[in-house]
Parts: sequence; structure tokens; C-alpha cells
Amino acid sequence: MKNKAPLIELRDLEKTYFSPGGDYTALKGINLKIKSGEFVALMGPSGSGKSTLMHIIGALDIPTKGKYLLKGKDIGKYTSDQLAGIRNKEIGFVFQTFNLLPRTTVFANVEKPLIYADVPKQQRVKRAMDSIAKVGLTDKAQNLSNHISGGQIQRVAIARALVMNPNILLADEPTGNLDTQTAKEIMVFIRKLNNQGHTIVLITHEKEIANYAKRIIKLRDGKIESDKPHKQKKYASK
Amino acid sequence: MRVSDIFSSSRQTLSGNRMRTSLTMLGIIIGISSVILISSIGQGAVAFITEELSTFGTNFFSINPGEDPLTALAGTSKPITIGDAEALEESDISNIEYIVPFGWSSSEVSGNEEKIKSLIYGMPSHSETMLKPEMIYGEFISEIDDDNQNRVAVLGIDVADELFGENTNPVGESIRIDDTRFKVIGVSKSKGALTARFFDTVVNIPLSTMTTYITGNDEIIEIDISVVNENLIDQTIEDVEIFLRDHRGIEGEEKSDFFMQSFKDALSTIQTVTNLLTLAIAAISGISLIVGGVGVMNIMLVTVTERTKEIGLLKAIGAKDRDILIQFLIEAITLSLIGGIIGIILGLSGAFAISQFAGIPFVISPLVVILAVGMSSLVGIIFGLYPANKAAKLNPIDALRYE
Repeated sequence: MKNKAPLIELRDLEKTYFSPGGDYTALKGINLKIKSGEFVALMGPSGSGKSTLMHIIGALDIPTKGKYLLKGKDIGKYTSDQLAGIRNKEIGFVFQTFNLLPRTTVFANVEKPLIYADVPKQQRVKRAMDSIAKVGLTDKAQNLSNHISGGQIQRVAIARALVMNPNILLADEPTGNLDTQTAKEIMVFIRKLNNQGHTIVLITHEKEIANYAKRIIKLRDGKIESDKPHKQKKYASK
Repeated sequence: MRVSDIFSSSRQTLSGNRMRTSLTMLGIIIGISSVILISSIGQGAVAFITEELSTFGTNFFSINPGEDPLTALAGTSKPITIGDAEALEESDISNIEYIVPFGWSSSEVSGNEEKIKSLIYGMPSHSETMLKPEMIYGEFISEIDDDNQNRVAVLGIDVADELFGENTNPVGESIRIDDTRFKVIGVSKSKGALTARFFDTVVNIPLSTMTTYITGNDEIIEIDISVVNENLIDQTIEDVEIFLRDHRGIEGEEKSDFFMQSFKDALSTIQTVTNLLTLAIAAISGISLIVGGVGVMNIMLVTVTERTKEIGLLKAIGAKDRDILIQFLIEAITLSLIGGIIGIILGLSGAFAISQFAGIPFVISPLVVILAVGMSSLVGIIFGLYPANKAAKLNPIDALRYE
């Protein structure tokens, strides 16, 4: 593991938003390496640049300056189609809200990334159902996405994020809309995925949630304020 | 992304919002169904005229007083007379089959204690051979009636029904035309709509009887001439014009005070007018198709705005710009195409109903149907492209953040 190139490497990364009302630099020289199998929490108040950083790591946006090496390849200059391919194959997203397509079944939601990857129908069914089974929702596969609970929605989102076997699971405030108990369940599940070898990048502003991670990076004013390993909190499930 | 996946995805979206989907289609349905309806009826009318044409042949032409049909309507022109017809009869113009002069009067007809106003035609007996009326009851005017100026009348079916009631044989009854007593010898009906004016709604009497008892002069309204061969009609018209100009004393550059019209010309004029009208109305209906297309575009734009977050999500999980473009385009095309197909079905049903009612043939033109399908897909593509492109170009971050 030590000899391998880091999964994610950011070098002097800058992101500036240009607008007629004045330019705004959200990220001011970020240097960061994340290795395969890590569980990183990105923390910071609003305006700290953590969302911008997440967008760049998630290949939803490109940096203005600096390099973003994903598995050693600089994807900072990729075209929008190439970035779409990266998002499809390398990154699994879990968002805070609006994770699922409305009026669409759980199965169809999980199947979507496979469709964009041109996976043949038979394989799609198997892989989607396997992924749904992993999050324990096999019996809900044909339910419409608006007929399941908030916790279940996040689990379906995780199933969809995992279906392409991505290198990174990128979770943006995944528990922001959930009650404490359900949030805890989701986080325990995410930690379990990490223990199985999945690399997790978690964006949160809640200390409680960040405590599940093994490494906590704090951002402030577009710069890394601190980057420390973290001893995972032992959760006594009562 | 495979075609079948795109279609199943647009089906999901469209059936997920039925109310909106059907309202959007409505514009296309109205546009396509009216184009189909109008062109089908127009073609039915043309087919009807063509059918008439083949029933009666096209070897006729008529001579009427006046420089052209308009001055004829004014009724101020020098009349044509039985003398003109007789002179033609005695002329050596070749290729003429029959010469049929018609006298005309608008008179009061009474019988069976009923009294109506009707058109009276004075016809020679041989008009039967040329115009081929169907005799419901009795006989047509005979040569003997011509020669003896017999006061006999052949009632048009409509006139007979009005005076004596439907399904009643009035042969042998007597009627009065103005103040002269006539004997009913037959009831006639036209074989086709084009000769209905001669046989259905009028009373026919011998021409000689008319000039003697009704009009009191030898003025007539029309001379119909049939030619042995349709191809000789133009030549014969020319010969007749030269002869009549000479007979009526018209010289040099002076305009003729009569005009001639062949049955064929009249029919082709009707056909041209019908075709033009059909085209014009179909074009106007085409405008409603554009309005329908704008409706599709409008809804698609609303849909793009409404589904901004969805588009962002799809892009986050790997949809390329092209995937989004094609999905929205297919949705627009599906909307228009289904609308088009419903429109075709409605338009043809309407055309069928109207053709039954109006008694014209029901014509389905495959070309028009194919054109309608093509038009509706085209509307979908043209008016779907802009919204679809707008959706495809959305920045995934902006789309995800959109509230």
C-alpha cells in the first residue's frame, strides 16, 4: 500500500469563480493526498471551501490552477464527457437531499449508472440487485422512490453509489436530513463499508458525524487548517 | 446509452405526468387531425367530381348568351334563339353528335292542390339520349310531343315529391304551369349530381310547347352540343364559334356576344379550385401544428427547469451531455409522435363521418398520412431541440444546487 501512488492527490489546487461583480477564490492552494482505503472527513464552516473541494474531488468541477491527480492521472483538463465517465466509474455520490429520481423505482434508480456505462441488461439486473441486497432493501426494490423512508432513501443512494464499484464513495452531508437514530445507522453502515475496503470521503459540518472517520481535515477560508488522524469513536450500539 | 433504455426512460417520465402529457399532445392532435381531415375531404371531393366525369363523359360543351359567365348573369346580353340552334343543325360543321337547345322559365306550378315556384326547362326529346336521366315513373318527352307541341310534363323527382308526396306515381295527373294545363307523363331523376339541375328540381316540357305556351318567344338559355369524339372538342368549339359569329353578324375584332364552355373545362376548373382550397385550408391547419409545436417547446422548457436537480443528479452519476440531450429530445418527439398518431386517427374518423354525411367517397391518402407522421416528428425535433440542448448544457453543480 505504501509504495502505491495515492488514490487522490491535489497539488497547489486553486479554484476561482469569475463574475462581473468581482472574482472569488474559494480554494487557495490545497495540497492533499488520500490513499486507497482511507475514511476522510472534510470539515469546515460554510464559506470554508469544503463544497468546492468536494465538487472538484467528485469531478463535477475542474480547478482553476494546480493539479488533481486521480490514480496518478491529471483529470484537471478533462472534457465534460471524460469527467462524466470518471463520475460514472470512479466515484459514487451520496447527497444530502434529492438523491433519487422521483416517480421511479428503487431498482431503476440503482440501475441508472449501469445504463450510462452501457452494461448489458442481464448484467445490470444482477449487479443492481446485488447492490440493493448489500444495503438490505431487496424487498423494496420495486417500490417507488417516493414511497420509502428517509433512511431507506439514503441506503438506496449508497446502493447506487456502490453499483459501479467506484474507487471513492463521496458523501456530502449524507445524514443532514435524518433524525439522530437513522443518522447513526447510516454512519455505522458507511463505516462498515470502509472496513470492507471502500475509500470514503465525507463532507460534514457536524463533529458527531466526523467522529466516524479515521482522518479529519478542517478547512477555513479556502485553505487546510488542520489535517489529523482520528481515532474512531467506538459506538456502543445500545 | 442504448435506444431501448432511452425510450423506456422517456416512457417513465411521460406516463408519470399524464395530465401534462395529454394537454401538451392536444395541440399536436388538433393540428394533425385538421390537416388530415381537410385533405381527406378535399381529395374525396375531387374523387367525386372525377367519378361524375367518367359517368357522363366529357364530350360536351355549352353555348350561353353573354361575353362571359359574368355578363350572362347580368342578363342584358343579346339572347340566343332557337334560330341559332336550327342554323347549327343545318350547318356543315363536322363531328357534332347532338345539338340540344334549352328554353327556360321560372313559373308557378300547381297540382294536387299544391302550388310551388319551379324552374321549367324546355327540352327537345333527344336531350334524353345525351343527358341520360333515370326515369322513375313513366316516359320522357317523345318526338311526337315535340312535333305537336303537346302539353306534357316530366316532373323532377323533388318537384313530384313536393306536389304529390313521396313514393306516389303522378303519371296521368294534370298540373298547371302558370295558367296552362299539362299532363304529367313521367318522373325523372339525375344519374349524377352534375346533371341534377336538369332533372331533379325542375319540370321538363317539350321546347316547342314552351315557346308556344309559356315564353311566347324563341329565346333560349343554352345550347348543349355533344361531339363524336372527346379529342375533337376544341376544334368543334372553334368551328361553332366561327359559324355563330357569322350567323349573328359579328364582325372582325368585335367580341362574341355568346360564350362557350366545355364540360371538361368546367370540371377541371372545379377540380383546380377544390385542390387549391384544400391546400389553403391544410396550410392554415399547418399553422395550428406550429402552435402545437410551440406548446411542446413551452412544456419541455418548463420540464427542464423543473427537472434541473434531476439533470444534475443524472450528470453526477455519469450521464454525458449527449445522454441528457437525447433523452429530452426523445421525450419531445414521443409527445409529438403520439399526438400525431392520435390526430391521424381522429382526422380520418372525422373525414369518414363527413364523407358518409355528404355522400362523397372516403379517401385515405397514404402520402398525407406519412406526411403527417413526418411533420409531427419534425415538430418534436425542431421544438424539442432547444429545451433538450438547454438541459444538456446545464452545469452539474448548478443543477444540483438548484432550489
